[in-house]
Amino acid sequence: MLIFIAWRNLWRNRIRSILTISALAGGLALMIVYTTLIQGMSKQMINFATNISIGHLQIHRQSYINDQDIYATMPWDLLSYLEKKREYKFAPRLYGAGLGAAGKLSTGIMLKAIDPEKEQQVTTILNHVRMGKADLGQVQHADSSDPALVIYGVVIGAQLAKNLKISPGDELIIITQAVDGSIGNGLFRVSGILKPIEPNFDRTGVLMSIPAIQSLLYLENGFHELVVSINEKDDLIERKKSLQEDVSQWSKDNEITKYKNGDPIVVRSWRDIVSSIADMLDINESIIYVIGGIMIGLASLGMMNTMLMAIHERTHEFGILLSIGMGRFWLLFMVLLESFFLSLVSAIAGGLLGIGYSLYLERYGIDLSGSLPDGVDIGGILWEPVWLGSFTPDSVFIGIIIMISIAMLASLIPSWRTVRLKPAEITR
Amino acid sequence: MALLELKKVSKIYRQGDFEVHALKNLSLTVEQGEFVALVGPSGSGKTTLLNVIGGLDTPSQGTVHLNGDDLTQMDEKSLSHYRLMQLGFVFQAYNLVPVLSALENVELVMVLQGRLAVERRKRAMHFLEMVGLQDMINRRPSALSGGQQQRVAVARALAAGPRLVLADEPTANLDSDNATALLDIMHKLSHEEKTTFLFSTHDMRVMARAERIITLRDGSIESDETVQTHQ
Repeated sequence: MLIFIAWRNLWRNRIRSILTISALAGGLALMIVYTTLIQGMSKQMINFATNISIGHLQIHRQSYINDQDIYATMPWDLLSYLEKKREYKFAPRLYGAGLGAAGKLSTGIMLKAIDPEKEQQVTTILNHVRMGKADLGQVQHADSSDPALVIYGVVIGAQLAKNLKISPGDELIIITQAVDGSIGNGLFRVSGILKPIEPNFDRTGVLMSIPAIQSLLYLENGFHELVVSINEKDDLIERKKSLQEDVSQWSKDNEITKYKNGDPIVVRSWRDIVSSIADMLDINESIIYVIGGIMIGLASLGMMNTMLMAIHERTHEFGILLSIGMGRFWLLFMVLLESFFLSLVSAIAGGLLGIGYSLYLERYGIDLSGSLPDGVDIGGILWEPVWLGSFTPDSVFIGIIIMISIAMLASLIPSWRTVRLKPAEITR
Repeated sequence: MALLELKKVSKIYRQGDFEVHALKNLSLTVEQGEFVALVGPSGSGKTTLLNVIGGLDTPSQGTVHLNGDDLTQMDEKSLSHYRLMQLGFVFQAYNLVPVLSALENVELVMVLQGRLAVERRKRAMHFLEMVGLQDMINRRPSALSGGQQQRVAVARALAAGPRLVLADEPTANLDSDNATALLDIMHKLSHEEKTTFLFSTHDMRVMARAERIITLRDGSIESDETVQTHQ
């Protein structure tokens, strides 16, 4: 019967209860939506880090990490060994630097060589071509009928294309210093322009095939970087550890540690590589609950006010209940139950509202392409112009727990007043 | 043994620097089944005496025994249990829980007593019938007149099976017809259920139905008379 009384009391002053429920439900819905948006941003950034360019894990020689030493390559045997040992996807990369020229314009460029077939199993970089196509293969030189004169296709950054005033189909001359000390140069054809997915690459990047860079730099005995894709559900730290053990064992077996003064081969996760982003994402996770707690805490002040007024209005009634023999504990329980129902109804309303809007944001997102057509660069990571949410039921569950806890805490003060009531004074 | 026995009970309130002697060395016995009216001018100590007997207030001095149990030795929890199991209350007004129907209001005390649902329903129906409200059991207090609400309160007080019903000016807010009807019901139930009634009143109509009239003045008993009722 106490449950009946508490439930019916909730609706004694409908307008007041509805206003309180609206405030609490609004706070909870905001928290759920806020969590969805922040998690969406995090997911987008992690997706960028792992799927577009960086991959889940990367393997380098330590000296390459330290100062991009062009000689710090890893043998091709390592790739074969890892591909046999593990079922992960691997994509080798080589890097270089040089001067790019087109017509009378020239600028410093960064060369990034990939194996298109393997790369597409690990990252989606080739899917982000804005103009032209992602063709890194050889084509016949347009002005020559000599079948031996073939040139490689390259995909370049959008800003670089703008600076050199070139577009797909145009030629690009690359001049660089080969590993043997000679001047390497070559003629390439621009097959595609990449979207601005990475600021540095956008300004200076030239994407080419591995045979193309090998012929340019005479760098045939290895690769600089091995990008690894694991199952997203796998434990990143555990996979990194096991892969490091594989690499270390292989290095030992092949006496690779004796090479270049024991320069080790190192496995790093995307969280190590873009640690500032990883830290930011961790902070975001914490902030979600702080901000959410503040939102709900403010709404709970409304709850406290409602309960204070309700108890003040019903002092005589509580006196009667105490007089007829209701224990103070039961009276406190009844009032707390009333607060609980108020929180519960708010939780259901706020939960449904939050889930509904979160699912909408997950599907359609917030479209900022009008003002930010190419997205925003945050610490080297591109944030895409359509901000998609990422809804997780956990956010609702945790939100409801936080809301009910804060609301019940807020109602403790007014509820406690009932315990101190003196029936003789009230009923007089 | 008397049902109720008060010995040298005093109640002193402090109001600022002044002490107010609400009850002065008052002694009183009430036997089971009596229908007793407490009368006296405002401030004579009627409500204070009912509160002391009801365990809602503690006396400054003296002892209060109900059925042999000394209320002055009971702690808060025991007093609450005592009120629940031994007493019935009818107040001046706003007696009922507004969100419960007449039937649920009558059942409420029995719920707190831990009685079974079937027994609760049966007793509640019985007492509502006795006060003539069998057709209004599902009405909430706001849909009942003042007199009907007081009758529900009487039914609630009796349904709990108390030894003593305390009523503080139960007819104060009722018109003449309703007051008379309520008194008739209380008197009838007192006899049928052999329940002791002790009520404070200013109302001459109430006094006319009392079997014993105790007059208070300045916290002391001025007179205590057994009278012939005019039923």
